[in-house]
Amino acid sequence: MTDLLVDPDALREQVRIKYREVAAQPHRSFHFHTGRPLAKRLDYDMDVVDALPDRAVESFAGVGNPFSLRSLEYGDRVVDVGSGAGFDSFIAASQVGDSGRVVGIDMTDEMLEKARSTAAELGFDHVEFRDGLAETMPIDDGWADVVVSNGVINLCADKRAVFDEIRRVLRPGGWLQFADIANGRPVPPEALRDIDLWTG
Amino acid sequence: MLEEAGFVDVRIGPPVDTFGGASGEDKARAYEVYGYAFMARRA
Repeated sequence: MTDLLVDPDALREQVRIKYREVAAQPHRSFHFHTGRPLAKRLDYDMDVVDALPDRAVESFAGVGNPFSLRSLEYGDRVVDVGSGAGFDSFIAASQVGDSGRVVGIDMTDEMLEKARSTAAELGFDHVEFRDGLAETMPIDDGWADVVVSNGVINLCADKRAVFDEIRRVLRPGGWLQFADIANGRPVPPEALRDIDLWTG
Repeated sequence: MLEEAGFVDVRIGPPVDTFGGASGEDKARAYEVYGYAFMARRA
């Protein structure tokens, strides 16, 4: 059994509280950037972003651009781990086209509701959002050509469990493309065990 | 950890100043926290 720094369930509840706010009140101030200004900062293709409605972009709170090292291929089957209000899923949908498929996985009801209603508004029949955890995704073995994620794995207590699960849902030779934060200076052990610092 | 989990061809993109200008900037600077894009292929 891996010695985890924090309790996974307690951390999930903290994350839900934080991202419930990002879903419902995307224009209030957070310790991170959000929305279109963040997408521009992270060098997304703004022609694609500008074509999306505000509802699809305003709750975006990623930390990097998972499409910057490799674009998706037409027809790819994609899983978006921690899809939030769906921003990266919609970017993925624009790259894989109608013959592709995108499944977003999230654990926050408010984010799932927002993502689903935006997908319906956009008429994106090839995008769906499922309730689930990064460690136990409701996806068949080897289903995905690509797994994307943005700013989510750092918020998971057991990162090895997440990577094992991503490997399970990817086909052999499939791609993992994710963005996340990393620190260049060591964080004190007591801070690593302070659950409030994980989301704040 | 990615290689231990069965991934190969790991690539990491350049750092991005994710928190610059946000209220979390001071904490990010203290620990040199930046955003990165990662890419790897399932073996």
